[in-house]
Amino acid sequence: MPEPLETKKEKVSLVERFFILWDRIGILLAFIVVCILFGILTPVFFNPLNILNVIRQVSIIGVIAVGMTFVILLGGIDLSVGSVVAFTGIIAAGFQVKWGGSLFLSIVIPLLIGGGIGFLNGFISTKGGLHPFIVTLGTMSIFRGATLLVAKGRPISGMSRSFRFIGAGMIGPIPFPVILFLGSVIIAAIILRRTVFGRYIYAIGGNEEAALLSGIRVDRYKISAFTILGFLSALSGLILTSRLNSGELVAGEGYELDVIASVVIGGTSMMGGEGGVYGTLIGALLIGVISNGLNLLGVQPYWQMIVRGSIIILAVLMDKMKRRFRTA
Amino acid sequence: MEEVILEFDKLTKKFPGVVALDEVSFDIFRGEVHALVGENGAGKSTLIKIVTGVYQKTSGEVFYQGKSINFRSPHDALQNGIAAIYQEFNLIPALTVAENIFMGHHFVRGKFVDWKKMEEEARKLLDFLEVDIDVNSRVRDLGVAKKQVIEIAKALSHNAKVLIMDEPTAALAQKEIKTLFRIIRFLKESGVTIIYISHRLEEVYEICDRVTVLRDGKFVATKPVKELKVEELIRMMVGREVGERFPRVSHTIGEEVLRVEGLTRPGVLENINISLHQREILGIAGMVGSGRTELLRAIYGVDPWEEGKIFIRGEEVKITSPPEAISLGIALLPEERKTQGLILLLSVLDNLGLPILPNIANAGFIDEDRLKQIGEEMVEAMNIKTPSLYQRVMYLSGGNQQKVVLGKWFARKCDIYLFDEPTRGIDVGAKVEIYQLMNRLVSEGAAIIMVSSELPEILAMSDRILVMREGKIAGEVNREEANQELILNLALGGKNHYARTP
Amino acid sequence: MKKLGVVGTLVILVASLCLGSLALAQEQLTIGLSFPSLSFAWFAFLEEAVKEKATQIGGIEVISLEAEDNVAKQISIIEDMIIRGVDGVLLVPIEVEAVVPAVEALNKANIPVVTVDRRIKEDAPVEVLCHVGADNVEGGRRAAKFIVDELVEKYGEPKGTVIELTGTPGAGPAIDRSAGFNEIMEQYPDITIKAQTANFRRDDGMKVMEDFIMSTPQIDAVFGANDEMILGAIQAIEASGKLDVKEVITVGFDALPEALQLIEEETLDATIEQFPGRQASTAFEILVKYLREKVEPENKVILIEPAVITKDNLYEAEKSIQ
Repeated sequence: MPEPLETKKEKVSLVERFFILWDRIGILLAFIVVCILFGILTPVFFNPLNILNVIRQVSIIGVIAVGMTFVILLGGIDLSVGSVVAFTGIIAAGFQVKWGGSLFLSIVIPLLIGGGIGFLNGFISTKGGLHPFIVTLGTMSIFRGATLLVAKGRPISGMSRSFRFIGAGMIGPIPFPVILFLGSVIIAAIILRRTVFGRYIYAIGGNEEAALLSGIRVDRYKISAFTILGFLSALSGLILTSRLNSGELVAGEGYELDVIASVVIGGTSMMGGEGGVYGTLIGALLIGVISNGLNLLGVQPYWQMIVRGSIIILAVLMDKMKRRFRTA
Repeated sequence: MEEVILEFDKLTKKFPGVVALDEVSFDIFRGEVHALVGENGAGKSTLIKIVTGVYQKTSGEVFYQGKSINFRSPHDALQNGIAAIYQEFNLIPALTVAENIFMGHHFVRGKFVDWKKMEEEARKLLDFLEVDIDVNSRVRDLGVAKKQVIEIAKALSHNAKVLIMDEPTAALAQKEIKTLFRIIRFLKESGVTIIYISHRLEEVYEICDRVTVLRDGKFVATKPVKELKVEELIRMMVGREVGERFPRVSHTIGEEVLRVEGLTRPGVLENINISLHQREILGIAGMVGSGRTELLRAIYGVDPWEEGKIFIRGEEVKITSPPEAISLGIALLPEERKTQGLILLLSVLDNLGLPILPNIANAGFIDEDRLKQIGEEMVEAMNIKTPSLYQRVMYLSGGNQQKVVLGKWFARKCDIYLFDEPTRGIDVGAKVEIYQLMNRLVSEGAAIIMVSSELPEILAMSDRILVMREGKIAGEVNREEANQELILNLALGGKNHYARTP
Repeated sequence: MKKLGVVGTLVILVASLCLGSLALAQEQLTIGLSFPSLSFAWFAFLEEAVKEKATQIGGIEVISLEAEDNVAKQISIIEDMIIRGVDGVLLVPIEVEAVVPAVEALNKANIPVVTVDRRIKEDAPVEVLCHVGADNVEGGRRAAKFIVDELVEKYGEPKGTVIELTGTPGAGPAIDRSAGFNEIMEQYPDITIKAQTANFRRDDGMKVMEDFIMSTPQIDAVFGANDEMILGAIQAIEASGKLDVKEVITVGFDALPEALQLIEEETLDATIEQFPGRQASTAFEILVKYLREKVEPENKVILIEPAVITKDNLYEAEKSIQ
């Protein structure tokens, strides 16, 4: 490397300061601006019921995005989340409707299966030395197929009242999925900030080799992150199944894109090592709010797709700029 | 009177908030090898980048062959015969040697590349430099030294009159450096002017005619190297007395802490035997690729090996991963500070804390107060210059970065240190600090293995020196009998009667 | 009248085929069935109907493959079928145009094709033995008429606000159903239509409906261009606490067992039945008859008339699934 430019540090500090600021509050600012805009265009947007609606809608994607934040922070990726949602959802529905109707089993088994699939993704990609993109592309297909197989090509409907609480229940005025979502955000934030596990996630994502040479058991942490993601995907599967009152075959299709978009818009770098779960929260909310606002305004679906795509590119561009101004 | 080819007159470059070059004036003679030295941040890079058109000056003048110049781009500079070779080569790995040499001005016949002519001309250039490289081989298949020669040939293909070389020897082995110096002398005789930037002062004395010292963006002095003592040069660079360059303190060697017996990894390491004692610095010399780095990595459990035994404090151990090595008190300071030693995105504190987090955590939760306290202790103990514990390490200077790497193991209370090129790319002043830290570690009972390509460092700091060649230990030399000649002989495969067979 | 005629001919055709096939239990046939996706219950139902028919007729092996809603995949599936030497192909094209080359290849190999449910582009230079399908436009019209009648019953005149959940943008059935629906609705200026896509999916149906409930104070009726979406919308209505699902007129499409169940419970008011089983078995019989007896069908296009299923005529639905 050429000797770092002596003045770089000073020179960059202004720009850097802007990007640090952007890093912290940029996305939040964008979120607030979008909200105010919709609030002006359609007053019902700020109706508390609508706000709860949006957060509830977002929680299904959001719960997964929390897990995805771990994996992307590590520099990984998981495409199988949508299939995990469908598979665990159909298993839950199966236990509800076909295999005895036990509430306990229909919650615990899918969560275990979800964690297991995540473990598998992590295990194969670390021990087999494969890029998680490839591995999870495979498991994405495997568990979509497994879903069809288990369901024999038909949705499974008719959940019990108690099971329906997961997706449709309320605690006071707050929908239960919202509590699950916000709860997972808070827990994840604490883990990332306060625990050894969390700090090591950043370390590995920042520089895997240096982390390895510092004595961090890299594989173990990677597998754990994928397991967490699998578990949370299953939780999302439970919420969705409960909410729809049906284990759907197409459930979760295309979720991986929304999930990854939430994480990236939230400022977590695809290169790993930078970002956090609060950003993901805002990222997921931003996507949800845009879709909700455009729906309230009766905007054509085509425009929704265009707007969302543009936001993703913008977010990644900001991330790239951030890095460019930083690397010596 | 020498002819002046490049002259700087009150050259100034300002960046927002900072003056990178402050009225720098000096000149460079045609056909000389002119060293440009100074600590990181002295202004060397800025100066070079103005000459080559990467930056535009703020004020002052640059005269080239008597005319005031202000190049707009590196291409512009190249057209006028000023070429620069950086540590990161500008070569395209997938293309052939000939193509790379004539990149940007291919020989053409009509619309087609004239391969024959291009190869012929490339061969002529390489013959001129007296090096043997097949012009049709792909650049990616060549070693660092040959790539560098191709860069030089590329510069010559543009009829370069001034060639700027930025740390050209950083990645070269001793033998390759000799070849490079031969080429540099040869170019000099052919009338090419060379601006030579290096941290290695021995090289400046060996190859350069005059030296210009910059400090904090200001010109300090230009002197013929012969009239300048090393100590004086260093004082000018650092701006103060740094004391001895190699502040070695000798200690009473204690008992054996590490013993390696018959360590073998086919094709890489062969029957390596090492004995390392408490309060000892064991130097390992050898060419790049002789297995030095691989040996450290094997002991540390990063790379697998097939045969052999490792004993720590007399007990045989199996080390298959870095965590196991660390739990035995072994620490590795890897060769590449930025890509292997540090997590640049993270803060000083985060980096210092890496190996110790599990030790200061309750049920997985980090004791933040304890961490901060350790961080502060380390910053003080290692004399790390950082505005805060929360500064990202990417913004620290090379020397301070290396101190962070060291501090992280110091905090873990390791007592067997494997240093791989501990002072590479570090300022003279900071180097001394690293040596002092090594002394301190040793005085506190630690043992150090130090791999280094810088022979003066090895010679000055080691109690014993092992020389490696082709994956084997070629010889062991005692501190008293060691000298540059002896070690080079061993490293290159020459006979040596003084060395004991291990 | 004309349609009744078609149905009549069909009945005769079916009857004669059954008898004929009993008499002529003969050479073994292999028939390929290619359809878009198993992820939609509708196609699973169709596949089942075909297999059932095959067993009934006897001596026929059915190779059934789904294409994961991927046009390229459907083409390669058909190419594989040609190589495996199937005698005929029953095809539900994913898309009207993209599948044309595959049908060309079938023509070249002299393998007869019958399309079911969705058609191939009409002016395509390919030979299709017969198309048996539903009239999606007519289905949309009937759904609209049903809603208009219900509104008249409620208000004494055709007025109110109607939500239309449309299918995946660009998909043939989505376009046709919406076209028929709006063709009728346009005649009633006092009825406001608010449309948004829910991609034929239940989760989207729920989400979009939630947003409509916020943005639209008074909702009289909801039409879902398939049952999945209307089922999702009903979940949203039930959860909202603002609307009573018994008050809102809800109409789905496809007559899935789950929808029929809700009609039974009076949660859903109506769904449009397109008789997929009848479509599939009719198409299958035409193909088998052609292969075994070289009898070409009288009509190149047979459209099975959709029916509105309400609580009063639940028995008409093909709800053999359950």
